[in-house]
Parts: sequence; C-alpha cells; structure tokens
Amino acid sequence: MQESLLEILCCPLDKHELELEDADRDDADEIIGGDLVCTECGERYPIEDGIPNLLPPDMREETPA
Amino acid sequence: MGILENKARARLFYKYLSKVYDQVNPFIWNEEMRTEALDLLDLESEMTVLDVGCGTGFATEGLLEHVDEVYALDQSEHQLEQAYAKFGKRAPPVHFHRGDAERLPFATDTFDVVWSSGSIEYWPNPILALREFRRVLKPGGQVLVVGPNYPDAFLAQKLADSIMLFYDEYEADRMFKRAGFEDVKHAFMGPSYDPEVAITTIGRAPE
Repeated sequence: MQESLLEILCCPLDKHELELEDADRDDADEIIGGDLVCTECGERYPIEDGIPNLLPPDMREETPA
Repeated sequence: MGILENKARARLFYKYLSKVYDQVNPFIWNEEMRTEALDLLDLESEMTVLDVGCGTGFATEGLLEHVDEVYALDQSEHQLEQAYAKFGKRAPPVHFHRGDAERLPFATDTFDVVWSSGSIEYWPNPILALREFRRVLKPGGQVLVVGPNYPDAFLAQKLADSIMLFYDEYEADRMFKRAGFEDVKHAFMGPSYDPEVAITTIGRAPE
C-alpha cells in the first residue's frame, strides 16, 4: 500500500486515525508489511504482502466462527 | 436469516465458489448489466471511487473504464486473489483492502462514489452497511448498489428466503431512506430471459 493511503484509512471499530508501525518497504517505497495501529483503542491491523487487512478482529481467519 | 448471512459461512462458501465464480456469474450479472448500471452514475476520471465487496473485480474492471483509480474492499482473500491477477496487487490502478462492509475502515467524507454489486445479499444488517456508505461519501456523493430482485413466483420466493437476502423496490426504498440517502431511484436489470433478476438502486448523500 502507498503511505498516502493512511490519510483516508481509519479504525473500522471506532473510526479513529491509524498509525503505521514496524513498516517494511520495497524498492518503490511501497509499504509491504507492518501494522496499522488505532490511536484510540490500540487495535492492530496487519499489512499482509502490501494489502492492509482492516477486518475487525472478530472476522479474521483465525477467529472461530 | 438465510444460510449465507453468517459471515463465517459466507467466507467458506466463497473460498470454494471463487474458483468458478467468473464462469457462473455472467448468468445473473453480465457485462451488459454492468454497463447499464455504470450509465446511471455521473463519473469523472479523477473521482475517488470505492467498490465494496469487489470480489473477483468484475465491477472494478467496469469502473476503471470511467475513472483512473478504484479503492476496492472485500472480506475474502480467495475472491481477492482473482482480482489481484487482473489488476496487479499494487496500486495504481486499484488500492486493495480487506474489510467489512458494515464497519468500513475509511474516514468520513472521503469518496465521490460508493459502488457495491452482488454483495448486499450477504450483509446481516444492510442498513448498517448503507449508513457506513453514507458516512464515507462526501456530501452530495453518489451511491449505487446492485442486489438480487425479490422473485415473483412463490417457490422461488421460498428458495430465495432460505438462501440469502432478496428485496423488492419498496424494501430497497425503505432501506436507503432509513440510511439517510436522498434522490433514491431504482432500476431493474437482467439478461433477456430474466430481465428483472437484479435491482439497482442509486442515491445521493445529503449536501
């Protein structure tokens, strides 16, 4: 994902801003890994191979149905 | 509640369906219908457009004939894999996200257009999702949602009710107005053998 995307992204739960942590970048300065962390509730959303996974925690794969 | 309204089930269903989806899909939602739906919107190339439930990217492809870039969101990584294959995983032209239609990860007043086709029937609470669409739309922004029209025949209705959400014009009108949209209008679309299989609703966020 491009870093400029951060301006329009927010926490899906409380809609507060997200902060980028532990960013991994490729040669084109694309963010390919790291976490987006909610500045309010602290929930962490992983960036997986460049795709931000902004599914709320109850919808992530590892969550039992 | 239909069997696919449970999100975990929907995810599992799509994991397998995504393998054949683009072959099966044209029977209910084809390029002609997509063009008809796109014609209902006022699109300009630099507009900020969100495709909710982009799936394999069928609508995203149509939107890209009118706009330079699309923001796309889906809950299923298996569906998204097909879309990555079409457009590449990195933007431009498509900014991909995984997320939930009812809890959008986008800031208020962000988009000129929010589009969703073939997704509303899986949302447990459509009004919640539509309110989210209105929130992320700029004032005066356009919404377009394509969903399955409620069938007339009794047996088809029973089948429809057991599988997922279907709705008619009256119900669509109620949902969009409750979500706060204005200028709500509906169009029916479908292939010649079933011309009203889909209902497309457009509306605007209040100025």
